[in-house]
Amino acid sequence: MGEAQARARHQQKVEELCAAAIRALAGESDLHFRGRRLHRGRHALPPFAPHLHPSLDSDDFASFRGAADGLALRLSRSDAALHRRLTPEDPVARLVFNLLEQIRVESLPPAGMPGVARNLRHRFDQWSLSFHRSGLTETSRGILLYTVAQVCRARVTGEPVLEETEDLLETTRGSIVPVLGHDLAALRRHRHDQAVYGRHAQSIAGLVAEMIHSADDERDDGEPGGTDDDDRTALARFMALDDAGTDGELAVAAAGRSRVLEASDDGYRVFTRAYDREFAAAALVRRPLLLAHRERLDGRIAGQGVNLARLARELKALLAVPTRDDWDAGQEEGHVDGRRLAQLIASPAERRLFRTERMEPAAQCLVTFLVDCSGSMKQHAESVAMLIDVLARALELAGVATEILGFTTGAWNGGRALRDWQRAGRPPHPGRLNEACHIVFKNADTPWRRARPEIAALLEPVLFREGVDGEAVDWACARMHARPHERRLLVVISDGCPMDTATSLANDPHYLDQHLREVVLRHEQARDVEIYALGVGLDLSPYYGRSHALDLSAPPGNGVFREIVAMLGGRARR
Amino acid sequence: MTDTADNAVNAGIGPDRTVAVREVFGIDTDLRVPAFTERGDHVPEVDPAYRFNRDVTLALLAGFAHNRRVMVQGLHGTGKSTHVEQVAARLNWPCIRINLDGHISRLDLVGRDAVVLRDGQQVTEFQEGIVPWALQRPVALVFDEYDAGRPDVMFVIQRILERDGRFTLLDQNRVLRPHRCFRLFATTNTVGLGNLNGLYHGAQRLNHAQVDRWNIVATLNYLPRDEEIAIVQARVPQLADAARRPLLESMVAVAELTRKGFAAGDLSTLMSPRTVISWAENLGIFGDPALAFRLSFVNKCDEAERPIVAEYFQRCFDRELDESCRG
Repeated sequence: MGEAQARARHQQKVEELCAAAIRALAGESDLHFRGRRLHRGRHALPPFAPHLHPSLDSDDFASFRGAADGLALRLSRSDAALHRRLTPEDPVARLVFNLLEQIRVESLPPAGMPGVARNLRHRFDQWSLSFHRSGLTETSRGILLYTVAQVCRARVTGEPVLEETEDLLETTRGSIVPVLGHDLAALRRHRHDQAVYGRHAQSIAGLVAEMIHSADDERDDGEPGGTDDDDRTALARFMALDDAGTDGELAVAAAGRSRVLEASDDGYRVFTRAYDREFAAAALVRRPLLLAHRERLDGRIAGQGVNLARLARELKALLAVPTRDDWDAGQEEGHVDGRRLAQLIASPAERRLFRTERMEPAAQCLVTFLVDCSGSMKQHAESVAMLIDVLARALELAGVATEILGFTTGAWNGGRALRDWQRAGRPPHPGRLNEACHIVFKNADTPWRRARPEIAALLEPVLFREGVDGEAVDWACARMHARPHERRLLVVISDGCPMDTATSLANDPHYLDQHLREVVLRHEQARDVEIYALGVGLDLSPYYGRSHALDLSAPPGNGVFREIVAMLGGRARR
Repeated sequence: MTDTADNAVNAGIGPDRTVAVREVFGIDTDLRVPAFTERGDHVPEVDPAYRFNRDVTLALLAGFAHNRRVMVQGLHGTGKSTHVEQVAARLNWPCIRINLDGHISRLDLVGRDAVVLRDGQQVTEFQEGIVPWALQRPVALVFDEYDAGRPDVMFVIQRILERDGRFTLLDQNRVLRPHRCFRLFATTNTVGLGNLNGLYHGAQRLNHAQVDRWNIVATLNYLPRDEEIAIVQARVPQLADAARRPLLESMVAVAELTRKGFAAGDLSTLMSPRTVISWAENLGIFGDPALAFRLSFVNKCDEAERPIVAEYFQRCFDRELDESCRG
């Protein structure tokens, strides 16, 4: 698990650096990665070309740099509207056309940036090698597409083709160059003019698509193709990333969409709320047990040596705004202080007769922590409890009100709600089917000192069942609305997507996912509550606009808190 | 009194010739502007390496030739104040720069009663502040950091912002008529809307009734790459030969990336042309671009932002900075 968490953190760090480089190179400020896709604002950008999507498993950091530079050049050097107009209909042709446009922008690296040119070259070579070594060049479609990519890139950029596969290309090159020769020659000449280049690229794309389709026809005609499956894989791998036309559509996160929720007229449904409960943590766990948990938690926190005073100062600097607060007397300038005038007569040389307004930072702010108490969080319970306890205490020192909430379900597998549904004759699309259970560990009026035992209830394993995230976020936001604070921050701590077996089975697997996305989007757009998400070893960016992956495989130390402060400060932009 | 005698002398002084803008400033225009033949005490030194920005120079020349009030706005380190000074130096026009700050008061600007010793007697006498003094002389008065001045105090100059606005000295019951060659300029980092981007702590929000009285507002922002390279070459002649041009181009490219990164909110500091020049100078001392870069800029950045700066550096120099986190 620790490894997976470290990987998620690493992935996020790499993506943040790459996104920062893309923003600077392209000169656009709202570009960022969500769920490994580049987004502009809330919209996912098309994948552009197959080599722009390195993976941490197989590719080095330089490959990520190259892909980032490729994306930045594509965004800044290519006219998306013109490109869309010229794009052919046929999927294979579209793929080749997209690739050719990418090659064009990569042949025009900005002046004074030799590093960009090297990164691009490195990435393309790495991608070529991995394509070749995975055996895809042994299929007829694979080698054709590969050769087209290599030959075109070499022609347009004027760089030599990859040495390792140079001999391999010869045969195919010999057969395609006579067909494509005229257009190939024109590519380099017109690489500064997207429209003219596009026409030649169109014709190349068309010819290549024709070759592939005619090869298909031949095969369909007769012989049972043994390599046919492999062949299709090659094409699929090439095409996997090609879904042109998504430009401008809403983001489709890895979590997927729910057909049921989209098809239903009245939106998200709950089968019955009869069994939904809201508890204070003290009511769920016996007092002596709470005290024992508290003792364990205190021991762990003491062992971490977190610098509480510093954390409180940082949080205060972040959340407080200067507010007028009383006067400073005895100043050398400012407003005349009437009470000091007698002193002026007694000692005329004394000049400290003035007073100035004092500005003190004050935090008119409420921070609510919402903890996902689903079963998988059980193993992180200790770290999460430590994290929240320390943060709550530091926030209180900084003068910020805090609330600690949790959500789980009253039973496994639907409980009484499922039973009622079955008795009612299993009507279709029942909506959420479980007993939602919301827990208040600490409300905003209780000081941290009084709430200490209740916070320790986070360690109680019995509470952890399933989770309905969307409703919980709504519930927390509603609670925050009832408070008078000017600024409201909600920090959701979770390790995965919403999980409720009964609901997923009765509706479809992404029913709760999509509801969570809708709820978060609604609050983000209303700007009533700032929602932040801390993913425990997981990238939560598909659901939340501002998220950060934490590595909690070791108990949280000063570093983890620094990351959280940075996220609240908006430095981590996701 | 000497004052009146002085005024009589000053009144006669004015530009006595015209110069061609093309020759003096290297700008392609047929304009001719008035200039002084003699260099007075207050004329700034000419910096032969200074490169004039076309638009801003034309705006400033309009200010000098046609008595327009010109405000130059731009980010820090773009050479706003120097620009005004160098134009004045080329015209031999006396020029006085005042740095405004939050503590400049009306008394400083207008004048105050002060106790002076005359014939062994203590007498109270009115002493003119900088505004009445300059108003009666052929002087270009430059308010530097105009947006640092307190807006309520700045109303003192409201009248003289008008072209023939007279200036009333209430303390003396006198009305001053500005000298025909008195000119007023201001430089500012913000456009008077306060510290919006967090860069200019202490910038005031200006009164727009006053901002409105400035006839010309010129913006001096970061220059095209070639111009910036030329400035660095002029400042640091060791880097001027053609062989080092790619190096300079990369340096300016890094600076451009930091500016875009700043605009996108990734960095909270950016490289001004002044930073690029000090980088180039430090390069002469240390020899290594990466080391000089670290000492001139990277160490000014927040620690959390250094890996991003290292990414920019890698793009432009094709080598790693120690701060980079290579995956």
